[in-house]
Amino acid sequence: MMTREIEVAGERLTLHAQRAIHWAATRTLLVSDLHLGKGAVFRRAGIAVPSGDTEDDLARLDALIAEFAPERLTVLGDLVHGAATERSAWVERVRAWRQRHDHIAIELIAGNHDRHFDVASLGIEVRPGQLSAPPFVFSHHPEKHAEGYTLSGHVHPGVTVRDGWRRHRLPAFVFDRDVGMLPAFGTLTGLHDVERANGRRIVAVTPAGLLPVSER
Amino acid sequence: MPTNSTTSAAWRRAEARLLAWFAAQGRRPAAFQRAAWRAWHEGRNGLVHAPTGTGKTLAAAGGPLIDAVLHPRSGLQLLWITPLRSLATDTAQHLNAAVQAMDLPWRVLRRTGDSGSAERARLRRGACELLVTTPESLALLLSYPDAKTRFAGLRGIVVDEWHELVGNKRGTLLQLGLTRLRHWLPELRTWGLSATLGNLDEALHALAGDGVLIGSRTKKRTIIETAVPASGERFPWAGHLGLSQLPRVLDAVLSVRSSLVFANTRSQAELWREALSSVWPEAPETLALHHGSIDPKLRFATEEGLRLGTLRCVVATSSLDLGVDFASVERVIQIGSPKSVARLLQRAGRSGHQPGMPSRILCVPTHLLELAEVSAARRALAEGHLEPRHPMRGCLDVLAQHLLTMALGGGFTADEAYAEITSSLAYAQLPRDRFDAVLAYLRTGGSALASYPEYQKLVETEGRYQVESGRIARMHRLSIGTITSDGSLQVRYMKGARLGSVEESFLSRLRPGDRFLFAGRHLELVRVRDMTAYVRAAPNRRGGVPRWMGGRLPLSGELSDELRRTLAGEDDSVEMRALAGLLDVQRRQSSIPGLDQTLCERTRTREGDYLFVFPFAGRLAHEGLAAVLAYRLARIQPGDYGYAVNDYGLTLTAARMPPLDADVMRQLLHPWGLRRDIRASVNLSELARRQFREIARVAGLVFNGYPAHGKTLRQLQASSGLLFDVLRRHDPAHPLLWQAEREVLDQQLDYSRLRACLLRVSRSQLLWRETKRLSPLAFPLWVERLRGGIANDDWKTRVERMLATLEAGADA
Repeated sequence: MMTREIEVAGERLTLHAQRAIHWAATRTLLVSDLHLGKGAVFRRAGIAVPSGDTEDDLARLDALIAEFAPERLTVLGDLVHGAATERSAWVERVRAWRQRHDHIAIELIAGNHDRHFDVASLGIEVRPGQLSAPPFVFSHHPEKHAEGYTLSGHVHPGVTVRDGWRRHRLPAFVFDRDVGMLPAFGTLTGLHDVERANGRRIVAVTPAGLLPVSER
Repeated sequence: MPTNSTTSAAWRRAEARLLAWFAAQGRRPAAFQRAAWRAWHEGRNGLVHAPTGTGKTLAAAGGPLIDAVLHPRSGLQLLWITPLRSLATDTAQHLNAAVQAMDLPWRVLRRTGDSGSAERARLRRGACELLVTTPESLALLLSYPDAKTRFAGLRGIVVDEWHELVGNKRGTLLQLGLTRLRHWLPELRTWGLSATLGNLDEALHALAGDGVLIGSRTKKRTIIETAVPASGERFPWAGHLGLSQLPRVLDAVLSVRSSLVFANTRSQAELWREALSSVWPEAPETLALHHGSIDPKLRFATEEGLRLGTLRCVVATSSLDLGVDFASVERVIQIGSPKSVARLLQRAGRSGHQPGMPSRILCVPTHLLELAEVSAARRALAEGHLEPRHPMRGCLDVLAQHLLTMALGGGFTADEAYAEITSSLAYAQLPRDRFDAVLAYLRTGGSALASYPEYQKLVETEGRYQVESGRIARMHRLSIGTITSDGSLQVRYMKGARLGSVEESFLSRLRPGDRFLFAGRHLELVRVRDMTAYVRAAPNRRGGVPRWMGGRLPLSGELSDELRRTLAGEDDSVEMRALAGLLDVQRRQSSIPGLDQTLCERTRTREGDYLFVFPFAGRLAHEGLAAVLAYRLARIQPGDYGYAVNDYGLTLTAARMPPLDADVMRQLLHPWGLRRDIRASVNLSELARRQFREIARVAGLVFNGYPAHGKTLRQLQASSGLLFDVLRRHDPAHPLLWQAEREVLDQQLDYSRLRACLLRVSRSQLLWRETKRLSPLAFPLWVERLRGGIANDDWKTRVERMLATLEAGADA
């Protein structure tokens, strides 16, 4: 249940319960909205969040890279949460992580949070706007593109699933006719509820694996 | 301290001025008022308890006023603390009248969250002798570096409506503030005013350490009447709305000039106002609605209407339980069970303010068994069995907030602060290591086990703790206080007028165009943006009523005990006579439990197999017990057990129940291993996660933003649930997690009551009845939708089950 194959725009994509997509045909691993360093931004403002979120997220990426051995890793925006200071230990951690994986190409479609930090200095290629990868267009914002099917992030989609007398609010993959959205990868991220609608495919991420959600 | 012999003559001369004022109004001070003045003069602390409208304010104010005649001084002398902002204005006027009458050169000021900047500036210059304020505003004043000098001339504090504060976190915060002031000013006198409580001694102890209890001798009579359904009238066995009683309520309302209709929840209040308005024969604007989610401006307008007597009827929730007295109110109506004797008394006291007049309340049961509750409440009241309100102990979130206030208001050393804080009742038993854990949270972020780089709220220099960052100081002052209304969205018209706030969980189910009833208006949702739901008036009536969390109080212990006695014994009240038929059915189909008996029923119907247990311990304790029973049942036979609870008992159901009889029930209900089983059964972490909201806000772990800034702090927004998860993973020893779990046990599950209840059950005779049909006691439980269940499955099983349902659905 940790992975699930799904067909989008005529391509086979592998959804992974660690909130990532592997596009096997091009050996591309897709993730979105990591918000690295978010804990540090909070701590600087006097809000006590323990450190460890960035290490956790990088370790999860390590595991995904080990599982799929991709050629490239594409981040669909919001790799980092905000500005860093000299005291921000997470920056060095991310840099070291990048160096450990110097054999794969890592690129970032710049998101709204990424403008506060020089991501290129980490050895990650930054692409403003969007990136065409037929039949897909990678972009941070879930907008329709004439050139292809959009795979995006930004929204942190979530869905509420009923289970008998219980309700679970879970992160989710969402695929509409022209646009798909990835759940936020980062540990320290919230959810934005998306509606179930006809023609919309939703796959929820539970701690024990993936769960397709019926239309309405 | 002055001795009586040297000052008595001077004292009597000063007191004469106050007596003259009383005489000018054709009144004489009551004995309890003079006793309070004298006790004040002797330098003592005290608590004055008396029904509303008997002159408590002057009992407490007289002492300081006489004192001021004897020792004229300028600068702040008396602090008057009131739990409600809306009360502050009235109280200030009332006190000012007394000051004028005594011909004192005192200036009376008011400082609350909604004071204007002019008032605040005057206050900063020290331009008043008497300050009327709220617990939160006091905490704010204590957070300024010059706090100690500002209060240097203070001689006394009076806490109004202490019964409203003593049992909650606002009361804890106030206790800490008072401790702070007493530490600076050992001669300070602390006085409280309170309605009658079951634990006045403890309330006094929490307020002042020691002192005198002074009560009025005038007993106000309370008459409890019931809207009894006529014989032969169909009246429901279950339910909570009671709209079938609408004609009786309308009659009662129209028979007097002005009345208050109390409902137990906000949604019930909305629906009752709606129902009344559909049959309202008078001008529509004479019927109003008042509850805690309605915008303060609208609420204030309603209160004004009551004061001026322009309103005939106000449907309200506990939001009108306390506050200014409305002389015009002639009748009080209670819809549904009052849940506690003290609350019934308090609500009844909102009518009949004319001296010598009894308070009257008309109880309107929403289903048959509530008749017994009314009868029980009347008996409890007659015997003086009122509920206690116990002060909360050792709240670490309030402690964290207060320590930051202390750091801003001059700084502290750990030893000093510990000694000062443990001198309050709320923290008298706080172990030093827990105190140190909270201090560590403020200094480093969390426990020593986890790392929090860059985080420094408190800075220690040579053993002294202070705040260095101006930003942290500003953020703290903005979030002082303990009242939370987290997770709610503002509701306002497109044109801008505010209506109030509604829980996010309700609005998230609505889409633009959907209609709902709120603040007594039919609204249509236009859009949700920036934590605001924009609405417009809906052309016609349709749609749901918002449901608010935490609206339902459990039946109090005093009332439950009396209810068991009422059901078991011979009670010939009009309510019990009306109930006789139903009780006969119960007796025929099953049994009515006696005082030393516990009733269990099992009913197998075509659609399910139900176990019912009736411990009469209140819904919270039943919730915990249901989880424990489900857990113990699942040990006999694994399965998915669903449950429902009410104030009388609980029901459990499963696809397959294990074999049950009286002996098995005895085992299942045994108190042995309760704490262990409750930990294993209740999904403690999911409950704690919800409880964590308030804790995180009180302790400054989440920040709601600057009022004027709004969006600029987006980067700092995180839900408390997310923080809870992160803390549990990375810092499981965090003191605030401990606090959350403790609050779940104490408050959400009422652990101590649950334990007491099981001890009683284990000593009682167990009645085991297998019934063919649902008994009258069982029926209300059966209609409660199954609200919870025991999750002795992990995520893997859940996903497999959900996938299976999904596939089954696809096949169909």
